[in-house]
Amino acid sequence: MSDEREITLTVNGTEHTVEVEPRRLLVHTIREDLDMTGTHIGCDTGNCGACTVLKDGEPIKSCLMFAAQADGAELMTVEGMEDLPEATDLHPLQEGFKEEHGLQCGYCTPGMLMSGKALLDENPDPEEEEIREAISGNLCRCTGYQNIVSSIEYAADELADRAATDGGAVTVDSPAGTDGADTACGESGCGCGESADLFEREYPTEDTDR
Amino acid sequence: MKSAPFEHHEPSTVEETVSLLESLDEPTILAGGQSLVPMLRFRLANPDVVVDINGVDDLDYMREDDGYLKLGALARHADVEDSDLVAEKYGSFADAAPLVADPQIRNRGTVVGSVAQADPKGDWGSILLAHDGDVVAHGPDGERVIPADEFFLLPYDTTLGDEELITEVRVPTPAPSEGSAYHKLKRKTGDYAMAGVAARLILDDDGRVDTARLGMTAVDITNARATDAEAHVEGERPSAELFEEAGELAAEESNPESDEHGDASYKERMVDVLAQRALGDAAERAGLVKRRVSQ
Repeated sequence: MSDEREITLTVNGTEHTVEVEPRRLLVHTIREDLDMTGTHIGCDTGNCGACTVLKDGEPIKSCLMFAAQADGAELMTVEGMEDLPEATDLHPLQEGFKEEHGLQCGYCTPGMLMSGKALLDENPDPEEEEIREAISGNLCRCTGYQNIVSSIEYAADELADRAATDGGAVTVDSPAGTDGADTACGESGCGCGESADLFEREYPTEDTDR
Repeated sequence: MKSAPFEHHEPSTVEETVSLLESLDEPTILAGGQSLVPMLRFRLANPDVVVDINGVDDLDYMREDDGYLKLGALARHADVEDSDLVAEKYGSFADAAPLVADPQIRNRGTVVGSVAQADPKGDWGSILLAHDGDVVAHGPDGERVIPADEFFLLPYDTTLGDEELITEVRVPTPAPSEGSAYHKLKRKTGDYAMAGVAARLILDDDGRVDTARLGMTAVDITNARATDAEAHVEGERPSAELFEEAGELAAEESNPESDEHGDASYKERMVDVLAQRALGDAAERAGLVKRRVSQ
């Protein structure tokens, strides 16, 4: 009755095939089958947003979806942030949370980062109100949110500064004059032709130990 | 907590879904899952069989067609929120969509699923009622159109048949001098409404109200119309005084229950206020009157 089935998930660019029961939640598959424990389970009720991941670029709560429903999907979790083209050591959002004290206990942070990422992908220069709306499905019990808003503003400013000063790590004009955001790897003057698009980048094919 | 084990079906067409609903033993339909998944996890719902319609062809749409705005069963709250068509022509939908739950849930949850769930605290039922909308179901005997007025029976109970799938909800495209709005009171993002009111007005050439509709959220055992208030407004010219009277009538017609968010008399007063605001916005959007109702 609860036959396992095989599903394929692409998480942070790496394809994984796992066997899941129909009742298995996506968050459990990410944490327990794929051993990627950066995605947290906070409330178990769909309220807190600690389990937020990006599914095909959109933030969703991975505790409100069965893993089988994500078969074939592209997922991004907090573990993927440092591999993004705009990341140096850390991703600018992560830098922001560090610089602006955007966390105390850190439990909500992976979900906040995912919601912040989704916002900046859609709207690189958000108003404070828009940031607050974007993280309204993520609860933090430590910070009072102000520093989280500042952290996301920090990242937006950082990304804008880079775009202004060196052609940008995110929106590079490609030599061929094609759409740089989609075709350049993002390293200024790199010219390697690698895609800056998250899901077109080459990632290690083995599970990384995180 | 984990759901109890269930058998998972993923039909790819409406016909296949209907034949599964016919042949399986008490199946539960899974669409956006933002209410159902927690219910399964807490074992408030324990179906043996779940029919997941997310892979069904041709249900992911929102379009004007044949005199209606039609939302397919897989149109998500976020699709409504992001729609230019809705922003331009369907004020109540544009008001309501960003007030549903939170951003992540709006990316998954569906309008039709919310209607089918028939939680009296759901927003879309009030909007369907205010727009004289329909629920379109497919069952073994083909298509059945259920007017919104005849759809809601009790909390979580509707006139949908066990072997029927809601494929669409629809509302008539707006008349030339029509406006609609939705106002909702909730304590914080993610909460259901403490009270909500959808209003729709059609004005005639003289600027009088030809048709008025009010749908109320969370203040009765189902989403409910405020028909006394509607009748009071029809035939009259929109004014702050008229809407104050309508608000009072709507409050009288509502039947809220006291809970941790407020007692019944407070919620009645909120219905009054929300109805005035929604009527004011609807009149303004109908385009023939200046806004004369203060917030």
